[in-house]
Order: sequence, then structure tokens, then C-alpha cells
Amino acid sequence: MMAILSLMLRAVVVLCGAAIATFSLLWHAPGDPALAIAMARHGTIVSETVVSVVREQAGLNVGFWSALQDWAGPLLVGDFGHSSVTGRPVLPDLLNAMGHTIPLALLGLAIGLAIAISLAMLATRRPGGGVDRCAVAVASLGAAIPVYWLGLLLILVFAVQLSWLPAMGARTPLHLLLPALTLGLGVAAALMRIIRSGILEARAQAFLPALARRGVTARAIASDHIALHAAIPVVTVLGLELAFLLEGAVMVEVIFARPGLGSFLVDAIAARDFPKVQAVVLLAALLFVTINLLIDLIYRLIDPRIGARSA
Amino acid sequence: MVLAVFGPWLAPHDPSAINIPQRLSAPGGAWLLGTDALGRDILSRLLHGARWSLGLAFLVSVIGLCIGTVVGLLAALGGKTLDWLVMRITDTFLAFPELLAAVVIAGLMGAGTTSLIFALSVTGWMRYCRVARGIGLTLQSRGYVIQARLAGLSPLALARWHYLPALLPSLAVVWTGMFARAILGISALGFLGFGVQPPLPEWGTMLLDARIHLRSTPLQMVWPGLAVVACVLAINLVGDMLRDALAQEERS
Repeated sequence: MMAILSLMLRAVVVLCGAAIATFSLLWHAPGDPALAIAMARHGTIVSETVVSVVREQAGLNVGFWSALQDWAGPLLVGDFGHSSVTGRPVLPDLLNAMGHTIPLALLGLAIGLAIAISLAMLATRRPGGGVDRCAVAVASLGAAIPVYWLGLLLILVFAVQLSWLPAMGARTPLHLLLPALTLGLGVAAALMRIIRSGILEARAQAFLPALARRGVTARAIASDHIALHAAIPVVTVLGLELAFLLEGAVMVEVIFARPGLGSFLVDAIAARDFPKVQAVVLLAALLFVTINLLIDLIYRLIDPRIGARSA
Repeated sequence: MVLAVFGPWLAPHDPSAINIPQRLSAPGGAWLLGTDALGRDILSRLLHGARWSLGLAFLVSVIGLCIGTVVGLLAALGGKTLDWLVMRITDTFLAFPELLAAVVIAGLMGAGTTSLIFALSVTGWMRYCRVARGIGLTLQSRGYVIQARLAGLSPLALARWHYLPALLPSLAVVWTGMFARAILGISALGFLGFGVQPPLPEWGTMLLDARIHLRSTPLQMVWPGLAVVACVLAINLVGDMLRDALAQEERS
């Protein structure tokens, strides 16, 4: 219990650090943000008075620490501030963008897991055999392919040459298929080898013959023991996979012109819309830290030895 | 690697020579892999681009290696308070997905090679740090390290003569992985338009150019991607070999 509490405390410390890091990164970014905002609102030629008015309005004329307080205070109650370009609140737009990204990421993860698990199970039927070697080779190749290039290739084959699937935009659920497949293939390549070695390692455990002698069926051994053991390394890397999913989703959304978090972020950077950039970066950190905390906790559930060791 | 060094001499054409009448021509003839939208020879651009893509990736991964090793050793050797502080800072950096943070930093600093190097180095040292600290902590209780410390060796000399040599093999494995990631990161930033700027031939930037002509000349898009895949695959294979060799040595 103490260990869990200390893990949670650590996550909170890290999140506070992440918030401060995000803010100072944007605060120290080169260029005058007030000028950028003024240009975005009033055209490329703006007078000095307009810039100073904007600076006043956007709260940019104060020191670092008080600006940090102005930003972090409302943040605690979920207020991400207003877009410095349009003046609209950031949160609704952010939630809207997430509504496009979350299905993409989840479907991508599901496709990736499905491919990786079935490929790993095929491969471990005969370790070292032809199928196994092919599967490992394909996974190694897959891990080297940049996700945006894979996306372009898929567009080329399925949208341009075959015209089976729509590529650009997010009008119908069908538009989700190609981007999710792109992400899924990337995830599968990374996970397949880990699942494969997880299964092989689990099979070598000394207690399996004992279970078999006790009369536990092969099917029960596979589902209750081997699967659980093979899950441990997979859960460990899922945290890293999440980073891959987020980054991959950003790239994939840009390629497929989907209005998700990726396009939201890239557009915000281009417009130097700092509140929006801060919101996305912080959201990514929040997601990342929370899920890694959850993974740590799940980890203890699957493998009680870990909790016992650190306690 | 060889191609990156000698590529510019092998290139049959000037990579930035513009030849509008020959634009978007198919592979074959004088242009082995065809030409791009400005009639520039794609093969020559690929070979010159290797310098940018691989050279920058090498630089970024070495900078990360230096920062990470120093910070990691600082945590391992500097006592409990410093260790806690350093590791929480590392955790904070790790709280952001690396490429996402690099995109934000490079984007805000303004597109260009310097901000690219900065962005990828700042987001790429944490793994080295963790490995260096982890091994450093286990070394602390080894007999020869304790003896050296009792003999009056300064922490700096201890780090140089006893910690670094022990760290190198593991750091080399991490480095190959980070080198491959840096190649992917540089081309990703280039593809988003935040990296190396045109007309410099960098593989990600070339992909960005090629994307517009996806329908008319799809092959133009294939080559830079293949170059990235080939390099990353080769580096990953070397990394796997290193790791296996290391594991074998530890077993024996």
C-alpha cells in the first residue's frame, strides 16, 4: 500500500514538473508572442500600439512566476485558457480533436495487438522454424519503417491504385480504416518480437511440467499460465507503445488530413498559439504519466513478486 | 555508412541543379531513379541527403550519450538527495513522448538545422541516463570500486577509470537504438516541415516534397523512405548483435 502511495506521489511530482517545464519552454521560446498574436489577428503589418494592447490583454507583460501562476491556477480546475489567435476557449476544441484521435489510437492498438499476438502464436508453434524466422524478419523490417512513410505507401496502394478506401479527411467511419491500419502495423512490428520471446520464456518455466502431471489440460496451461507469463513483458512495453501511439497518431493525422490532436498541435505551433500548444503538450504528459502509473499498478496485480520485492 | 561518406562523389548529378524540362521524369536513362518536381536528380539527392540524415542523427545521438552519461553518473555518485532530484528531473523529461516534444521544441524555435539538433538532443538523453545510473549503482558495492574509493581516488577519477569502462558496452547498445531513433526523428521532423530546410537534400524533407506528387509520380516517394528503412534496419541489426554478444559475455 505504501509502495502504491509513493508511486502516486511520484506521478504527481512528475506532473507538476512537466507543467512547469511546458510553461517555461513556451515562455522562453524565441520571438515575441504578442507580435505573433497581433499579426494573426490583424494581418501582417501591425503598429506598435496594437502589439502593446495585445500584450496587455494576453497577460504577457508580467514576470515569469506571476504568469506561471496565472496559467496554472485555472488549470487545476480544468481551464486551459483561451486561444491567443481566435480568442475561443481551448478546451472544447481540444476535446473535439481528442474525439478524433482516441478512436484512431484505440483501433490502431487493437489492430496492432491482434496482428502481433496471432503472428507470435504462429511463430512459436515451431521456434526456429521457417514461419518463425519469417515472422521475426518481417517484424524487424516493420520496426524500421517510419510510420508516415508506411501511411503514404498505404495511401498509394489502397486509395490511389486500388481506390478501395478513402484516404483524406474524417467524414465517415471508413476514413478511420487506413490511418488505424498504419498505426496498427507499426504497433504490431514493435510488439510481435516481445510477445514471441515472452511466450518462449513462459514455456520454459519449471512449473509447467508439474502442472501437466497434476492433470491440468494443455489448454488450461496455455490460457491460465503461459498467457499470463507472456503478458508481463507486454504490459511493461505498453507504456512505451503509448508514446509511439501518440507520436504515430500525430504523424498519421497529418498525412491523412484528419482533424485530430496531431493537426491541432501542428497548426497551433505554426500559428504560435501558445495556450493551445501548452494544452496539447500537457495533455500528452498527463495521459502518459497516468497510464504509466496504471501500468505499474497492473504489473503488481499480474506479478505479485514485484510488489513484494520493493516493499 | 560508407555511402554517407563517399556518396557525394558517387552522385552522378549536382543535387540542387534545377532542370525544369526534365521534371518528374521516370526512372531510367540519365536519371537512374528519376527526377523530382524541379528536375533534380533523385539519386544524387539521396546520396547527398545521407550526409544530412545520417550525419545529424549521429551528432544528435552522441550529444544525448554525453549528456545522459554525465547526468546518470552524477546521480549514481552524488549521494541520495542528488540522486532523487536528478531522477525526478529525468522522469519529468520522460513524461513527454519524445518525438512530440521534439516537434514542439523545433517548431517553436523556428525550422532549421540548429533547432532540430537542439530539440532531438534535449529529448534524447534520458535512456542513457537511466542505464548509466542503474549500472553505476550496482558498481558502488563492488569490491574494486570500494577499494579504489578507500584508496582516496576522487569521484571524478573514479568515474573516469572505474565507471566509464564498465558502462561502455551497455551504453553502446542503447546508442545504436537511439541512433536509429534519431534517423527516424530527423526524417519525421523534416517531413512535418520543422527540420532541415529545402533546398538541402534531407530524406524526410524529400518525402514531404514527394507527397504532393503522390498521384502523378508515386515512385518519387518510395526512394527516400527506402533509404531510411535500410539505414534503420542495418543499425538495429548491429544493435541486436551487440546486445546478444553482451548477454553472452555476462552469462560466461
